[in-house]
This record gives sequence, C-alpha cells and structure tokens, in this order.
Amino acid sequence: MPDLTTFYNLIPTILPFECLEARFMQKALVGLVLLAPMAAAMGVQVVNFRMAFFSDAVSHSAFAGVAIGLILAVDPHWSMLLFGVLVGLGIMAMQRRSTLSADAVIGVFFSAVIAFGLAVVSRDRSMARNLQGFLYGDILTIGDMEILLLGFLFIALMLFQVLGYNRMLYIGLNAVLAETHQVQVAFYQYAFAGLLSLVVIFAVWAVGVFLVTAMLIVPAAAARNLARSASAMFWWALLIAVTSAMAGLIISAQDWAGTASGATIILVAFAWFTVSAGVAYFQRRS
Amino acid sequence: MMWSTDKTKGASVRLENVFVDQDGLTILDNVTAWVPKGSHTAIVGPNGAGKTTLLLAILGQTAYRGRIRIECGPNGRPARIGYVPQRFAFDRNLPLTVLEFMVMGRQRLPLWFGRGRKHSTQARELLSAVKIDGLENRRLGALSGGEIQRVLLALALQQDPDLLVLDEPATGLDLQGEHIYCELLDELRRHIGFTQLIVSHDLATVTHHATHVICLNRKVAAEGPPRNVLTHETLTAIFGLHMGLVDSRAMPDGRSSCSAACCTGDEHA
Repeated sequence: MPDLTTFYNLIPTILPFECLEARFMQKALVGLVLLAPMAAAMGVQVVNFRMAFFSDAVSHSAFAGVAIGLILAVDPHWSMLLFGVLVGLGIMAMQRRSTLSADAVIGVFFSAVIAFGLAVVSRDRSMARNLQGFLYGDILTIGDMEILLLGFLFIALMLFQVLGYNRMLYIGLNAVLAETHQVQVAFYQYAFAGLLSLVVIFAVWAVGVFLVTAMLIVPAAAARNLARSASAMFWWALLIAVTSAMAGLIISAQDWAGTASGATIILVAFAWFTVSAGVAYFQRRS
Repeated sequence: MMWSTDKTKGASVRLENVFVDQDGLTILDNVTAWVPKGSHTAIVGPNGAGKTTLLLAILGQTAYRGRIRIECGPNGRPARIGYVPQRFAFDRNLPLTVLEFMVMGRQRLPLWFGRGRKHSTQARELLSAVKIDGLENRRLGALSGGEIQRVLLALALQQDPDLLVLDEPATGLDLQGEHIYCELLDELRRHIGFTQLIVSHDLATVTHHATHVICLNRKVAAEGPPRNVLTHETLTAIFGLHMGLVDSRAMPDGRSSCSAACCTGDEHA
C-alpha cells in the first residue's frame, strides 16, 4: 500500500488549524474532500431527476449489508458495499422492466432490505451494538485503505461524469428521446446506479444512514437555487459540498462545538441552502 | 428492427404483419403498411387506435411481432432518426438553457466544461431554421409550449435525420400555431430531404399537408394519397358518423390559405 504520510503532513501547512494536526483528522479531511465532490456531482442528477428515494433505499440497504457481514464473519464495510451495489442495480433492473412506478419499485426494495436487516439483528441482539457506526457514521476512523478506495472511486466517477454527464441529462429529460437519438440509455442508467450506490455507501461510513441523503441532496438543492444553467449548477454544488465538508469537520472538532462531524457537515450545507433560498427569492422578485 | 439496404422500392419504412399485444389486449393487429421515401406520411385514427404504439414500435421502444424494415442511409449506414415526442414533461425550474439543451446531444465534453464553438454555432443555426432565433440563452422551462415544440424539432433535426418521426407535435398549439408549425415542417422537409412520419388528430391539417396517409384503428383501414384515403366511407368507418365530413376543398389542389411550398410545388402529383 502506498505511504500517504507526506500527503497528510501537507494538510496543517495548507490549513493551519490546531485540530488538523492530529493524524485521524487529516485522514478524515482527505476522505471528505474526496467524497464530498462525488456526492455533489451525483446529487445534481439525483435532485434534477427526483431520485432521492433511490439513494434512501440504497443507504438503508447498508443495514442489511452490515448484518450479512456479521453473520458471514466478513468485514461489514465490504459486505455493505457489495450489498448496496446489488440493491442499486436490482432497483434499476426492475424499474426498467416493471410497469410499476419508480417510487413503488424503490419502496418495495426499501422495505425488503430494512426487513431483512431487522430480521437478522433480531436473531442475535448483540449485533445491534455493531450497528451504531452505521447509524451515525464515523469519518474519524477512516483508514488508508478506505482513502485509497475513495481515490479510485473518485477517478472512476469523475471519468463517468466527464463522459456521461450530457448523456445522463438527456436521459433524465426523456429516455425514449435520448435512445432514439443514439444515446445508450441502458448502459448509462446501470453505470449511474452502480456508481451512485458506491457513493451512497461510502457516505454512510462518513455521515451515517440518517444523513446520507442530505449529503447528496442539500449541496445540489442549494446550487439549483443559485444557478441559471446546468453548467453553473454543477460548479456551485461542488463548491458548496467541499466547503461544507471542510468547515463542518473543523467546527465539529472545536471545544465550544464538540458535535458529531457528519451532523455538523450537513448543518453547514443547510446554512448554504438557507442563503441560496434567500438569493433565489430576491431574484424572483426583481 | 431490421435494417434493410433495399433502396429500389422507394420505401423509407415497411411494416409487415406487425402485432403488438399489451396486458392481453391486441393494440396493433396485423398492420401492414409503408412510408414512401421523402414523403410526409400521416398516421390518423381515433383515440386508442394504436398510433403512438406504432411509432414506438418503429422506434424500437416497444416489443412487437412481425417485421419492421427501415431503409439504411447513404453507404449502408444505419438510418438516422429524429424524434419529437407527444408529451415532453420536464421540470420547468430545471436550470438548463436552450443552447445547453441543444448542445448536450452532440457534445461529448460535459456542459460544465463549457460549450464548444462548433456545436454552439450548429445549434444556433438549427434554432434559426425553426425560426426561434434569440432564445438560446433563455431557460428551457421559461419557453411557451409552441417554442418548446420548435426547440424539440431543432433537436430532432440536429440528428440530420433520414426519417423524422413526430407524435402529435402540434398538441397544445392554437390553430395558427399549428398552421405555422406544419408550414415550417413542409419547408424543412423539402429543403433537407428527410422522410416525415407524423401522428395527427387534425384531419384538416393532414388533408392539407400529407402526401401519404395511413388510417389506423388497430388495423390498417386504408392507406394511400389523402384524396383517395380520406373519403367519407373510410372516415365514417374509423371515426364514426360525423367525421365523414372533411372538406375536400382543403386539398392542396383547392389552394386554401397555406403558403407552404407543398401548396405551390408539384409534391402531391
């Protein structure tokens, strides 16, 4: 595994905050700076095409994923990832084939994964203790391996965004029109579902299942209030997500705050949203 | 969908014994018809006749039995199809400009890296061709229904189509708007040379503009030039009694108010 020490040592030089002198905080910051833009980029499509329920279902599948890992004596981080991706692809496959509405298909999967997780945990109540981290997230325990994985995912996802952003926009507006006009709709839909599932599960590690959808939605929703074009919305979402993640982490480590990092990150993003809603209100009136 | 290289018979699309069944109902029942190359072919029929389903089958968007052959483009390449859907429901608050909407289908680089000069120029030319210059920097959601229909037409033309498929494109337009839209389509078809396949409810417009008509009511009731097909007997059979009253004076030979090239040229000969 490559040594990331030199990289971590640069952080206190660039951001001279006392809290960032601790190695675990440096790792958390790197993890968030990789994760936040991914969540923002996917969040733009999630907000524009009303897929928040999809990300909710995948995040809650982490519950069952952890349970499966504990039963099979596999690292729950891996079982969460694998199970989350399977659920995401399963929802997409059924959406494409079923005559049911998208909400109904996602609702069925959502209920099934929650029920499965509860059923497994109810058999062995000692497992419930291991699920705390899944509920609240814990970016402060992120290790080098997870950071490397996030790095690889970052490259894959940004490559997908570069090659597929315009195509995804086309599909989101009208899939039949896009397919007739030579867009490979199935490929992009499955790739999007798989990558979104991976981002969602990594975000569960960071901020917990309660807040994962917020990590996707809030920066993109604030960006939408501020943007007048698709291009501007993308860049605003990235800016809001990264600044919220960095500020949230640093604030949470202050003595006067002492709050959970995941929750603080989302609160900073919400502050961005409040400002953006005010800007949008005055723009509409003028 | 099968791709044919047969160019000798002058058909852009051939439908042979096409059936579509959905939820135990037969939507299309042994449909055999053709769309002449370079024609303005209209599919007419009552609600529930299977018109949109037939278009979706041609576009490969619904399962069917039978055979649908679409003639290849020059040098045997697959035919390029432009499509204007019946309903384009989208989030009107979506931050997306008209120019971004046009460019997204052609440009590989994401819109957030900016718009390429070549693609932007092409998009502006197409918007100008459909007579909506000056709207490129407006939000798509801020346009009127008629303007959106024209943007969709420009998007379809951007495919440089051999076959342009339109599903009731004038829905929601007033009479004058529909008239102008049809004239524009006729002008573009003559200028660019694509085959036009359109679903329409408006028999007067079809009578006036189409060169080939397919009367559909799950089965093909009649097919051919409008003057031969849109007869009292056929229309009464597929629409009911009062629909047999289409005014034959609306035929191009009757020289009604239309100023389109279709009414001044030899297209209906």
